Amino acid sequence: MKSSVKLTFCRWDLIVAALILTAAGVLAAGYWGRTLAVGSSSLTAVVSAGGQETDRVRLASLSGAQERTYSSNGYTLTVRFSPDGVAVETSDCPNQDCVHTGTISRAGQSIVCLPARISIQLTGQSGSGDADVVIG
Amino acid sequence: MIYLEPIGRIRKFDARPLCGLCFKGMNMKKTLVRLLVPVLACALGTGSLAGCSLPSAAAQSDPLSAEFYAMDTVMELRAYGDGAQDALDASQAEIASLENLLSRTKEDSEVSALNTAGGAAVSVSPATARLLSASLDYSALTGGAFDITIAPVVSAWGFTTDTYQIPSQTELDALLPLVDYTQVRVRNAADGQGDQVSLGAGQSVDLGGIAKGYASDRLVHVFADNGVESGLAYLGGNVYVCGSKPDGSAWRVAVQDPDDASGNVGVLSLRDAFAVTSGGYQRYFEENGVRYHHIIDPSTGYPANNGLTSVTVVAAAEENAGDESAAGSGTMCDAFSTALFVMGTDKALDFWRANGGSLGFDLVLVTDDARVLVTKGIGSQFEQAEGTDYTYEIIS
Amino acid sequence: MTTRQLTLCAVLTALALALSYLENFIPLNLFIPLPGVKLGLANIVTVFALYALGAGPALTILIARCLLGAIFAGNLNALIFSLMGGLAAMLVMIVLSKMKKLSIYGVSMGGAAAHNCGQIGAALLTLGNSAPLNYLPVLLGVSVFTGALTGLIASLLFRAMERTNLMKA
Repeated sequence: MKSSVKLTFCRWDLIVAALILTAAGVLAAGYWGRTLAVGSSSLTAVVSAGGQETDRVRLASLSGAQERTYSSNGYTLTVRFSPDGVAVETSDCPNQDCVHTGTISRAGQSIVCLPARISIQLTGQSGSGDADVVIG
Repeated sequence: MIYLEPIGRIRKFDARPLCGLCFKGMNMKKTLVRLLVPVLACALGTGSLAGCSLPSAAAQSDPLSAEFYAMDTVMELRAYGDGAQDALDASQAEIASLENLLSRTKEDSEVSALNTAGGAAVSVSPATARLLSASLDYSALTGGAFDITIAPVVSAWGFTTDTYQIPSQTELDALLPLVDYTQVRVRNAADGQGDQVSLGAGQSVDLGGIAKGYASDRLVHVFADNGVESGLAYLGGNVYVCGSKPDGSAWRVAVQDPDDASGNVGVLSLRDAFAVTSGGYQRYFEENGVRYHHIIDPSTGYPANNGLTSVTVVAAAEENAGDESAAGSGTMCDAFSTALFVMGTDKALDFWRANGGSLGFDLVLVTDDARVLVTKGIGSQFEQAEGTDYTYEIIS
Repeated sequence: MTTRQLTLCAVLTALALALSYLENFIPLNLFIPLPGVKLGLANIVTVFALYALGAGPALTILIARCLLGAIFAGNLNALIFSLMGGLAAMLVMIVLSKMKKLSIYGVSMGGAAAHNCGQIGAALLTLGNSAPLNYLPVLLGVSVFTGALTGLIASLLFRAMERTNLMKA
């Protein structure tokens, strides 16, 4: 079977590019649309290692910044929790993506360290729509 | 020159120029540079976009708010209107002064003086006296399920100092006789000044289960005095909502799921109301796989284990124009949330049937067999959470 | 397969390995701080092999380069990421290459997008929660550009090959 290939950029390629960008846009809207800044009293950081939940920190109950260390898969991360958000301070992973992500502060956001298999997700509430405050 | 056989299926190429940027016989290096630069520039652009934060949802008119720590918990106040700043300042001052009177961990508080008096009568301010009287009334009403004299037992478990331990049965046997609210005497002087209180021998009291409720009662006055008609006070699990939200809609107060700190069992729509939740999951320690929480049953000396994982008491907030230091429904909700948790599901519901109408309160109970029971009075104001495993029932 | 074709496969495999090592020196990570973002230069080889040799040899080259790459890096965990990404890209590119209307650019962009999807899929499996999905939209956006870049270089490669006798019928 003979196959030849076009080497010039043409209209159909633009369609492919547009399709990919639309898919990206739809994913972004759908996923990010669900992250809302919930009242500070309910923002919780959930730390998981290897898919298992290891730690939960309720950001509003902190009186200042607090650092915790997590080790998994041969790598160690130091995470700083504060009422304003969560960030990975240091990590001995090779690519430092987790450190570069910076601080997350809204429900739905997350920091991931792939080599260490550690993820930190900020969760607000599930179930009912935005509430003004949570008691419990 | 070595002649190579055709390697595969390519037989011809499209020889047209490449978008006018290069032609046959072009300089490959120049083309690469011409095209790589814009591509990398676009990548940079995408990268900076990725770094942008998204606009936050639903920008409302922002309230003034204050977050601070008092009474061993985090507190958050929000107020709308011109008097908001004054209201916040006055509220914080009020809470601080209450803490100075009522905290048993502050050595110079009135409660500490009472606890170290060895049974002698101690002079207290009207606020302390009112609160102690109310506590005794609630103890009588709940048959002792709420009892401020539980303090020695709570300390024996280490909850006061965060040094958790399981007390021995001997220790508890020695301490349980001290848990007896009937030995607390409050003598009101005729004009409300110079009130005196005394405890029984060896007793000590802890107002932690009622102080925040009392503080929320005081905030009703503070907000009203400063002209705040819309606001919210979150005092570590005790909520007071003042008026409606600025747009007229009700305040939405979510009840935390005892099993999942990031989820809730439902949302209450409230205006001018108190809502207080008590649950074992709020403070506990584990030993040998068993969980011991901080809500001690005064009759056994052990953490209450009567089928409930959380109790939320809801009542209307009314300004008691007569006596500003009287304990109101905020105090009541706080005391009842503890008492009903100790009582357990059936007794709590019986208590509500007997007193809910006359005292004006409703309940949201979460049981350990995954039911959420909402009493009829707030049935229409409670919105069930979606996607939970709980079964919801309206109780009449 | 002739000996020359076999030799070409081997050379292309080595080239792909060298390219994936080379792109570590271009710190795209600094501009876009997401895990897994890279130029994907090894896809140039994949796309070239697809057209020059066919789907079968291209697939073999892909698998060989993923295996060898993981062994050389001393990190077998990276294998699942590069395999899932590479196989997804391969699949999509085979399908797209059948569409005559698309040029090599369209095929490359589709391949780059599929590569990123495959890698996010691998991350979802490894981490066990949905956190990696957060990155997918931006990665897809970037893949349009890296795919275009890969397509460009591959097309320049074919044009250059035209001059040689390698392609003469």
